[in-house]
Amino acid sequence: MHWTSLIRRPRVTRRTFLKHSVTVSVALGIMAGRAASREESGQPVGGTDSGPRGQTKVIDCHAHLNHRSRSTWEADDCKLIKAADNLGIDQLCCSILTRSQPATADGFRECNQWMAEAMRRFPGRVLGYCYVNPGYGQEALEEIRRCIEGRGFVGVKLYNEYTCTEPVVFPTVELAIELGVPILHHAGHAHYFPEEQPRISDGGHLAELARRYPQAMLICAHVCGGGDWEWTIKALRGAPSVLLDTSGSVTDEGVVEMAAQVLGVDRLVFGCDMSMTAAVGRIRAANLSVPDKEKILGGNLAKLLRRRKS
Amino acid sequence: MILDVNAYLGHFAFRQLQHNTAASLLQLMDAKRIDKAIVSSASAITYRNAQAGNEELAAEVKDHRDRLIPFAVINPFYAGWQDDLKICHEDFGMSGLRLYPKWHNYRLSDRCCLDLVNAATERGMVISVPIRVEDKRQRSWLVDVPDVPLDELAALVKACPKARFVLLNGLGYAKLPLGHKDNGLPVNYLIEISRLSALLDNEIGQLIASLGAERLVLGTGMPFSYPDPALLKLEVLAASKEDKEKIGWQNIAQWLRL
Repeated sequence: MHWTSLIRRPRVTRRTFLKHSVTVSVALGIMAGRAASREESGQPVGGTDSGPRGQTKVIDCHAHLNHRSRSTWEADDCKLIKAADNLGIDQLCCSILTRSQPATADGFRECNQWMAEAMRRFPGRVLGYCYVNPGYGQEALEEIRRCIEGRGFVGVKLYNEYTCTEPVVFPTVELAIELGVPILHHAGHAHYFPEEQPRISDGGHLAELARRYPQAMLICAHVCGGGDWEWTIKALRGAPSVLLDTSGSVTDEGVVEMAAQVLGVDRLVFGCDMSMTAAVGRIRAANLSVPDKEKILGGNLAKLLRRRKS
Repeated sequence: MILDVNAYLGHFAFRQLQHNTAASLLQLMDAKRIDKAIVSSASAITYRNAQAGNEELAAEVKDHRDRLIPFAVINPFYAGWQDDLKICHEDFGMSGLRLYPKWHNYRLSDRCCLDLVNAATERGMVISVPIRVEDKRQRSWLVDVPDVPLDELAALVKACPKARFVLLNGLGYAKLPLGHKDNGLPVNYLIEISRLSALLDNEIGQLIASLGAERLVLGTGMPFSYPDPALLKLEVLAASKEDKEKIGWQNIAQWLRL
């Protein structure tokens, strides 16, 4: 499938959403209403600050496009866009990761080059995170500056090469502050040693980093794919500048409500991390008001992205 | 009509559950327009004597049998399981089982497990096996319970061709014999979709193509899980209305003669 063959016509309409539930219909309307209005108007999505009819855009804060070593990368990228169409997601903040970690400088530069091309293939639809390994020092900083200032990327993606409290990470955080862009940081907390990711950060590390850099815009990644989500939420309570990404494959009931209660809805940002129905379903299910869901689905992230300085 | 094959009542040892009484689960089902649900005791997963959980479940669903269909949790390695099975079937009217081989520390190939499966089959009971209870990354420091390997399940369905199995909370079938057409296995198992993808890789679509929609069933995992993700999978699935009806309730209703 070539990207130009994509038809942006969402399959989940307000009507099909609503037929399943009256009591949750208000929540569903946030996403389904947008999908329906796009369907009615035939308009493509993206390129403006708000969605159709002035609604807040639905923005997936955590998505990935495919490494080009994957033979089906182009078709798989298109599948992601089509899935977003089906679910009423307007924009996807994406990164491309190297095939293995730690990433080399050549490796993350290559990924970011592909990311820049993807932003041109899906203008206004795909927003780019610049992925770097902070261990490359000046090379990583130059890459961030090139991507943010020269290529229009919206933020920085950090993975598990270093725990975020290690000093080697600090210059990256300081540059993100200077540029006014968020850092989406891979995170998870398990009650056993994660041998495959010995330097993974968790909510506690991100809270510590936020205390050192209160101006930093940190997003703690995939609370629903990062181990004990109750631990993570509680660890972030005292770090008001850290936002929590709701993505992940785990569909445990109550996670969104607990995060909203402990952290406040202003600190929650909707994400999928490729678990599409899990991500949309948990927001649809959450026992929160429509305005609160609007904030989570896109309002909070849009506000964050407006703090960009260049 | 929606019939959820994967629901629970009671407590789980490692996380507080909401909607875990009959009244509150029914309230949630009303909100999600789920007509009926097969329920088992979440408490029985970690009770040493699982029958205590079955007794709690029987009392809880007694006045709601039109919508809540109780399944028994039986540990075939525990004393008196034959008596428990008889009581659950004859006295409590339970029409199926849920097995937890990894939590209850036995193998699906153990003689006692095969004896339980055969005894339940003679009674016409359906046997469901949750591949996992929760994501292993969030497991407690107290336990390290692995998922049930799908090849062990394949061996079980082959060893007990007259039994009828429902495989819950699994994924990755499409790449394994359980998800292949002409796989040499009896046509005696249904696959529940709560962890399968309906978009991107679309494992549900792959299984419809290989096994047919007659082999898939809807389950949500509530109240461990939000019900909406599984319901949403069925909504966005690229399949005919007829196939969605089969998955949503007809296949399991046929097995349970509802």
